[in-house]
Amino acid sequence: MTRKRRIYDGILNALTYLSSGIAVIILVMVLQFVFVRGWSGVNFDLLSKPYWSGNNTIEFPQFKTGAFDRPDHLGDDIAFSEKLGIGLSDGLDAYKEHQVVVEYLDPESPLHHGVVSTAGVDLGKELGLSEGSNIVNLMLKDTDDKIVNVGAQRKSTAEETVAAMDNISEMRKIYFKTEGGGINGSLKATLYLIGLSLVIALPIGIAAAIYLNEYAKANRVTNAMRSSIELLSGVPSIIFGLMGVSVLFPITQLMGIHTVSIILGALTMAVVLLPLIIRQTEESLKVVPIDLRYASLSLGATQTQTIFKVILPSALPGILTATLLSISRIIGESAALIYTMGTFIADRPRLDQGATTLAVQIWSLMSGEQPNFELSSTISIIILLIVLALNVSVKLISYRINKKWSVS
Amino acid sequence: MKRKLSTLLVVLLVTALMLVACSTDTPAAEAPAETPDPVEEPAEGLSGEIHVYTRDATSGTREAFEGGIGFDKDEETLTASAVETSGNGDMASKVGNDVNGIGYVSLTTDFAANNLKPLNFEGVEPTIENVLSDDYSLKRPFSYVTRAAGDFESDEAEALTRAFIAFITESEEGLSAVDGAGGIVDLSSAKPWSEVAETVDGFDPATDYSGITLRTRGSTSVDKTLKAALEAFQAEVAFEFNMDHTGSGDGFKRVLGEEKDGANAGDIGFASRKFGDNETVSDGMLSGEYCQDAVVVVVESSNPLSEITQQQIHDIIVGQLTTWEEL
Repeated sequence: MTRKRRIYDGILNALTYLSSGIAVIILVMVLQFVFVRGWSGVNFDLLSKPYWSGNNTIEFPQFKTGAFDRPDHLGDDIAFSEKLGIGLSDGLDAYKEHQVVVEYLDPESPLHHGVVSTAGVDLGKELGLSEGSNIVNLMLKDTDDKIVNVGAQRKSTAEETVAAMDNISEMRKIYFKTEGGGINGSLKATLYLIGLSLVIALPIGIAAAIYLNEYAKANRVTNAMRSSIELLSGVPSIIFGLMGVSVLFPITQLMGIHTVSIILGALTMAVVLLPLIIRQTEESLKVVPIDLRYASLSLGATQTQTIFKVILPSALPGILTATLLSISRIIGESAALIYTMGTFIADRPRLDQGATTLAVQIWSLMSGEQPNFELSSTISIIILLIVLALNVSVKLISYRINKKWSVS
Repeated sequence: MKRKLSTLLVVLLVTALMLVACSTDTPAAEAPAETPDPVEEPAEGLSGEIHVYTRDATSGTREAFEGGIGFDKDEETLTASAVETSGNGDMASKVGNDVNGIGYVSLTTDFAANNLKPLNFEGVEPTIENVLSDDYSLKRPFSYVTRAAGDFESDEAEALTRAFIAFITESEEGLSAVDGAGGIVDLSSAKPWSEVAETVDGFDPATDYSGITLRTRGSTSVDKTLKAALEAFQAEVAFEFNMDHTGSGDGFKRVLGEEKDGANAGDIGFASRKFGDNETVSDGMLSGEYCQDAVVVVVESSNPLSEITQQQIHDIIVGQLTTWEEL
């Protein structure tokens, strides 16, 4: 090798190292970014908690103040009311709004024995203040018989709220919020969407793939069909979203749904998934050895019997891969769903109403005037974990397929 | 060869981690802490080109701002160098990061957190008192309009809509919720909700409204105040709400206009301005204003400027004043 040659080769080699290094580094940076911001928020509570806080007003029909001792374990930043046995602190919610948080509640505190005064089915039921709640507004009469309102809504600090509590003569009502900021609703909506989209897209996709691979003659029409399906997979998903809201919406309207809904989202996602499922299934049908077909046909089975009883079961691992890839696609999709499912985070998602998937919840959290970085990063971690699990299973399945079909 | 590759990778990784660590340590919101020497700023005024920031064309804030400074959309044109921002938060962070920037945000914005300095307009300080007393003129109303009477999904939905409007315009609970969230309201004439509830047509607190969803649409600027009010109303009456806010232009459209039966139809539409002449809000069951919001001209916090007149800001916006020296 000449010297020139060696330098030239060295530069090229270095370029490939550099490029692969950049790719790895970018991935690490993304991971570090979401983990630094969001890791503290990851816990199991998050998965079961609703996003919206519960809003409750309670009254106290039999109200007696007591004399409580401040427990020793309370920190200095917690204000304690000796008459009501409650410890409060100043907090900030995810949107940097001031809160008056209930940190401690004595087991004997009169605040445990409230009655719901919110009009509705729960009216009159017993409901006490709970730890972790945010006191939005507390209305009481002080010793001078004057009505006093304190709480987060009045921008009172924990100190001021406790001062008012210790000067109480009569309790009127408490408006408090329970803890929110969970992803339970989005998680459910994501599962609904995955289930419904697959129910629609898988049968159509598999049937189409069988037609293209088994029945269709290799002519111009088949080729045109195949390339249009391939073209479909290159269409940006936001265009599918637009299509969904203008073309598919009338279909859901026929079902009596007059708003964006999970069904509309699932129909749209089914269209997005079709090319992926068709191509993946076709690939897996192609690798089924031709000998299997001949063997089946020579035993007297019809072509249809051969396809459904011999070829399709052999192609099952490939179809499973297609399904897992589809699930990843649904979890990662946001543009098409913003139009078809709305951006309102629903805690109790219903098929005929709008909801957000995990990815759209991130969009929804970040598009406000006060973006919520922490929760968004936490959701990102959860999405990354799910996608990682799916990818590993795809790898495992394709490994098994390769083992099964490899000639040894 | 292998070892070389791994060394290279490790070195690159470490550099990248350091980069990320640096960037995550300094989010934009904490920027003020990073300017420890404000004394060193030139006292006699900033020099150089003025960077004008504006909002997207559908923004209610932009409309309120342009109306307030006497900028005529049809006759005059915005300076070509203006940078368009996508939202109030976007505007706040962009101006807060540009020493030569000037822009406008709503009064509810957290100025300190975004490294902004609010300017007095025509010699009047942008405060809640000055807005309520009409001294401060660069302000806008938050308006609402409901669907037409009889056009709701059910009678209960109609009654609930009526009750909610009464809640945010008359009741103490509703008004203080809006007030707590930064809306500018007059609390002096407020009555307790228990009294207001009795005056609402068709609304019966004994009915179960928990299956009804109130759908609100329109301006994104009303988001914060409206969410507080809806949550406070939820503490009084059990019901569900669905907020999907995309801009003032959609407020009328989605409850009375062409999209009123579309996928994004709503029960109450909001605009962060007065409804226009072509928006026939008289068709709606109810319409009006529930609070005020002021638009504030802002500059980066180290900017020595503290006052601005209507003429000055107008000239800046149309591009006649282009440098800080001319101010």
